[in-house]
Amino acid sequence: MSDQIEQQKQELAELGNDYATKYGFRDPVDYFHKGARGLNHEVVEMISRMKKEPKWMNDIRHQALDIFYAKPMPGWGNTKLLGEIDFDNIYYFMKPIESQQKNWDDVPEYIRKTFDRLGIPEAERKFLGGVSAQYESEVVYHSMREDLKKQGVIFLDMDSGLREHPDIVKKYFGTVIPTTDNKFAALNTAVWSGGSFIYVPEGLNVTVPLQAYFRINAENMGQFERTLIIADKGSRVHYIEGCTAPIYSTDSLHSAVVELIAMEGSYIRYTTIQNWSRNIYNLVTKRATAHKNATVEWVDGNIGSRLTMKYPCVQLVGEGARGEILSVAFAGVDQHQDAGAKVIHVAPNTSSRITSKSISKDNGRASYRGLAKIHKQAVNSRISVECDALLIGKEARSDTYPTMEIDADNVRVEHEARVSKVAEEQLFYLTSRGLTEDDARLLIVNGFMEPFTKELPLEYAVELNRLIQLEMEGSVG
Amino acid sequence: MTQLSSIDYSIPEVAAELERGPKWLRDRRKLSRDAFNRTPVPPRGLHLWRYTDPMRFLFERGSVSDSAFDRDKDAVHQLGARYLRDGHLSAFVSDLAGRDVQIQTTEELTARSVVVSPLSEAVDQHRELVELYLYQLINQQTGKFEAMNGALWNDGIFVYVPNNTVVEQPIHLLREAGQAHSAQFPRLLVVVGKNAELTLIDEYSGGSTSTDDGITYSNGAVEIFGMQESRIRYVSVQRQAPGVQSYLTHRARIERGATMLTIPLAFGAAISKQNFGVIMNGPSADSKMYGLLFGTDHQQFDNHTLHHHAHGHTTSNIDFKVVLGDKATSAYTGLIRIDHNAEFCEAYQENRNLLLNPGTRADSIPELEILNEEVTCTHGATVGPIDPMQLFYLNSRGIHKPEAVRMVVSGFVASTLKMVSDDLRERITQIVEQRLEAI
Repeated sequence: MSDQIEQQKQELAELGNDYATKYGFRDPVDYFHKGARGLNHEVVEMISRMKKEPKWMNDIRHQALDIFYAKPMPGWGNTKLLGEIDFDNIYYFMKPIESQQKNWDDVPEYIRKTFDRLGIPEAERKFLGGVSAQYESEVVYHSMREDLKKQGVIFLDMDSGLREHPDIVKKYFGTVIPTTDNKFAALNTAVWSGGSFIYVPEGLNVTVPLQAYFRINAENMGQFERTLIIADKGSRVHYIEGCTAPIYSTDSLHSAVVELIAMEGSYIRYTTIQNWSRNIYNLVTKRATAHKNATVEWVDGNIGSRLTMKYPCVQLVGEGARGEILSVAFAGVDQHQDAGAKVIHVAPNTSSRITSKSISKDNGRASYRGLAKIHKQAVNSRISVECDALLIGKEARSDTYPTMEIDADNVRVEHEARVSKVAEEQLFYLTSRGLTEDDARLLIVNGFMEPFTKELPLEYAVELNRLIQLEMEGSVG
Repeated sequence: MTQLSSIDYSIPEVAAELERGPKWLRDRRKLSRDAFNRTPVPPRGLHLWRYTDPMRFLFERGSVSDSAFDRDKDAVHQLGARYLRDGHLSAFVSDLAGRDVQIQTTEELTARSVVVSPLSEAVDQHRELVELYLYQLINQQTGKFEAMNGALWNDGIFVYVPNNTVVEQPIHLLREAGQAHSAQFPRLLVVVGKNAELTLIDEYSGGSTSTDDGITYSNGAVEIFGMQESRIRYVSVQRQAPGVQSYLTHRARIERGATMLTIPLAFGAAISKQNFGVIMNGPSADSKMYGLLFGTDHQQFDNHTLHHHAHGHTTSNIDFKVVLGDKATSAYTGLIRIDHNAEFCEAYQENRNLLLNPGTRADSIPELEILNEEVTCTHGATVGPIDPMQLFYLNSRGIHKPEAVRMVVSGFVASTLKMVSDDLRERITQIVEQRLEAI
């Protein structure tokens, strides 16, 4: 027992610099194309031309840029941090290599090593149905299991998706999140590059998860991936994304737009493990439309970044649709996790559940910001919202800003929130059983997070537990 | 949408009658007036303004009269005499349109140096207290409409309870709004000394009976200070007539060991936007708030509550209940704020919304801002119709729908109403039953 504790102690001590060694490394840069800093119509034109896009997409981009200019910055949330974003100092497009590869051996060594260190090829062999690896603006590696391809599953990076399936993309692009939705959605629409495009044919059950991994390497980089997932009638798919970046002294921006369309009776689960380094602004718009009897689940873990503003949304537009959002945020030193969830009930007999867990440690700030809305025609709908916040340290801050707008009859909406610190009784009990206070705290935090981690594939759950362990290191005192 | 540019809402030089009084007061009025004129109309996206159009509380200066109380003034003033005789009250104050304030008190109260006075007189007679406390919690920085009250209040009410004095029977304030096309700015300042005790019933009524006949504007401000170990019960009853557009801001600050019970009850007005807040400013200060509103017809309610834990070892509890029928709507935003250095606080908040029929709408935004770890804080909110199981049960016992609904609603509001005195509870129960019958 004491050996184990010693070993754990040592592990904890070693974990101190872990992000820097495990994810925080940076590669020497030798890019195929690296644009200039700053944003204007020429940059947009250049991106569109390099991708040889059809005119309609080119038009959408230019319109979006004008909308981006016209829209004010959000007047809510952490306006101080938002105000620090210098849009003129950001690289909007960096193309690391000339063309995408299907084989890890063909990926340039420095990039391959990066993903090796992140464990992507290993995970691919073990349990994934397909992998997409994005480095800066473009996807450098992409492959999918042959059997899935034969069954008609389309899993491409978004650029290839637009090239190979322009009709589908044109039909759905921007239908869930219009360009005018918010300033950052407009920005993404103007300069988007990379991301995933997935189409699952009618009735097909994709039993193994598809994964994308997003890596920012350069300083002052802006990554704007665009993801569109369409699950046709009765199909099922699980998509996982992960993200990391090196540690720089100046900030980078990640602003994705993710649109999910769940057709009648289909099921989409979208899992995110966001572990950006603490110099990334992560301002993401994610929204799903669930049609009749469809189910959409967002499993959203936010551990990294300096400021995250992300509120995954499910619009329940078909009768009997179901939405579930499970959100976890960990705010450590100087971090602000402004995360949350939105459910918008438009059709009758729809149901949704939001579970939010947040931990604020040191001077970190975790905010839950949510919307539970029931429109007039969505009778017989049910929403339940549960927020739990754990505070560790005197400087920690937790906010809860739920909004419930109920406009229909015969609906039931419940909201509950709790904010507390690690209970003395629990610590006392565990330490009386021989655990150190560090270990006891870790155990309690892991228990607190369990509803979330148990929804992850095993490998990710292990990874997340490790991340939390790392974040919890030295939390006593 | 009203054309903003074409109508002048600003307050020009204040009327001569408001220019009376000491210099400090004239200066404060001017600060408020300047702030009002300078502050833009809150945009609809702004926090606390999402659910109510601020234009509903603005009016052209020329379009309303200030002195517009056309009913029998004496009848209102005499209303209190009966209460006093019955021994239920220790003082009755009638405040007509925020400008004509009359006080009736028991001799006992006067003998114990409790002050109940028109604010205009207190400005001179209790200058130190009034100058120190008036505008301290609600002033030109609070917001545009608070600045409006600060500039334009004509007369108000001042209540002072000296240290170690217990006022056993409630003091009842009746604020009668003026007729259509009038505006009033009722103001109340309450200072309760150390270890003193006070119960206040602050009732707002009257006004235009229909917006079609013209609107009555009401914009009130209530500041309450509770010194160490004081015990205050404050009941606010808003039962203004259906043609009133009503705005009210309430702030109380309580010191070490003080307890404050706030009971905001709202039934009236076309639009009612009320903001109740208690700041706990010393250890062991405790605030409880039990709110109830019942909306029918096309009434719009927009209520806010604030529990601000500015000091450690303080406790608070809010239970805010909403019942809606017909096409009534309600938005409730409740904030619990626990400051960085306010450790070992406990705060609870609950908001329940009962929707009696389709067409109603309830929004609920229970917010938390917690800036340190040594706290226990929970909140909960529910929105839904009457539980069909409850109706089914009552039905099976031979109690049919209208009566069954009445019973369920009575049960829903009972825990709030049991907090108020017997005679007030009777009156409130009557209002609730009248509303249920009307639906």
